[in-house]
Amino acid sequence: MTAAIIDGKAFAAKVRGEVAAHVARLKEEHGIQPGLAVVLVGEDPASQVYVSSKGKQTVEAGMASFEHKLEADTSEADLLALIDRLNKDPKVHGILVQLPLPGHLNSELVINSIDPAKDVDGFHISNVGLLGTGQKSMVPCTPLGCLMMLRDHHGKLAGMNAVVVGRSNIVGKPMAQLLLGDSCTVTIAHSRTKDLAAVCRGADILVAAVGRPEMITGEFVKPGATVIDVGINRIERDGKTKLVGDVEFASAAAVAGAITPVPGGVGPMTIACLLANTLTACCRANGLSEPSGLTA
Amino acid sequence: MTATLIDGKAIAARMVEEVRAEATELAAKGWAPRLVSISVGDVAAAELYVRNQQRQAEAAGLAFEARNYPETISLEQLTGVMIGLNADPRVNGIIIQRPLPTHIPVKALQKAVHPLKDVEGMHPSSIGNIVYNDLALGPCTAVAAVEILKTLPLNIEGLDVCVIGHSEIVGKPIAFLMMGLGATVTVCHHMTRQVAVHSRAADAVFVAVGKPGLVTGEMLKPGAALIDIGINRVEGKTVGDADFESCAKVAGWITPVPGGVGPVTVATLLKNAVLATRMQMDHYSAAFAVER
Repeated sequence: MTAAIIDGKAFAAKVRGEVAAHVARLKEEHGIQPGLAVVLVGEDPASQVYVSSKGKQTVEAGMASFEHKLEADTSEADLLALIDRLNKDPKVHGILVQLPLPGHLNSELVINSIDPAKDVDGFHISNVGLLGTGQKSMVPCTPLGCLMMLRDHHGKLAGMNAVVVGRSNIVGKPMAQLLLGDSCTVTIAHSRTKDLAAVCRGADILVAAVGRPEMITGEFVKPGATVIDVGINRIERDGKTKLVGDVEFASAAAVAGAITPVPGGVGPMTIACLLANTLTACCRANGLSEPSGLTA
Repeated sequence: MTATLIDGKAIAARMVEEVRAEATELAAKGWAPRLVSISVGDVAAAELYVRNQQRQAEAAGLAFEARNYPETISLEQLTGVMIGLNADPRVNGIIIQRPLPTHIPVKALQKAVHPLKDVEGMHPSSIGNIVYNDLALGPCTAVAAVEILKTLPLNIEGLDVCVIGHSEIVGKPIAFLMMGLGATVTVCHHMTRQVAVHSRAADAVFVAVGKPGLVTGEMLKPGAALIDIGINRVEGKTVGDADFESCAKVAGWITPVPGGVGPVTVATLLKNAVLATRMQMDHYSAAFAVER
């Protein structure tokens, strides 16, 4: 074991602290309080846990939290009407619709009906395109969290070779865009890639977001590289359930220069970035300068 | 010279034939495609380009109206023009000619185009669709470059692709289009340490930087496909970003400049026009058509 551990929990706490300090300043200097509305449809137990934890951290950062819990059989029209109300509500700067939605609801339509300026998840098609063309947008939370950790660890990323494994819409693709935005040379690898290990070994920065437990072993890692593990997989081992990432921690840590653990790495950053995005959206909505270091 | 020359003109001609057939079919349903081109100020260079576009559109059976507005028009007034064009069912595609005067930010104007009429594929939601693999209307040059590669006998799944240049309208969309097709894509740019290391590992190289002679033969893997998107004027001649002579000795396929990506780009614009018209027709029927 040689790699430095990137402590996502501590870093997320630091980011939340910066958000809270900025929120306090906004209140004091401008009388503005950022507000986040979270919409949960149905009773998916995992989603309920997320939503309550988001609400709690929102309040802790000094922001207003609006929770809207709807019945599982809520009609699309009712949900769209709620989103329309939230779009128009000046107290709401960020809107998050907890996914997955029950099967009778068209997620794409629902997400694209959120005002892009309030789309703190960064999933609205217009935000996807704005990010794709290097324009001001709302950036998806998980890749934004990874970017912040990388910048914190390395300072400047320009010129580094980055390999993103996984091409999902919510992590892989925006991650690649963000790394390009920071002038990395970026390769996006995936299940169809020939000789994945060799491609990964070219990386100074290796981001794993495939959703396959411990697929990336030490053999995939260039000595001294920084490994960001986005995966969260629940596996059975020795009769116990365990959370592991997409990276086999022990073998990768023996080669890498720095690595994020699972749990306690990327995970805690996601909600911290949600709060940061809400703050950013609030500043933009009020024509105030954006908090530095909390956006792409 | 061992590389096979890719004939962009022939690919474009085939595409235009398809566009003509599609336009005829749409016209029979009452949806004859019609493009409106917007240019601002007295731009002689653009005028020639617009006239060429008009000639090609009309040859493919598309109506084309070229509008020119005075240099003094404001962004607000132009946005108003866009709102009118967006609402007009007889307009199916809007082209914004560049350059625009400095007081008209091109991105603001592109955002004002309705996504269903965005035949240039420049609206953020058009780019967003590309990123999400929903290949509706893509930026013409990027789509053209990818269309050219697709004509070659290569299996794109798992193909190692190097894109040199990460511009918003060419390099990045090419990367996402190729990734959507299953290629492993590496994007290089001016901050890349050793471009040759990446380009030499690639089965296909796209270059779109605007620097003549940037890619040379020794930067290529023998037999690779080279798609040259650059258009540069050197000593009165039009050349690409590749040093054609040395690259042609190593590559398996190569696009010439001119006569490579250029003609396919224009054909892609026309293809987008019929695609957009069909999307509008479908949208209209879904929203308004009475059941019979």
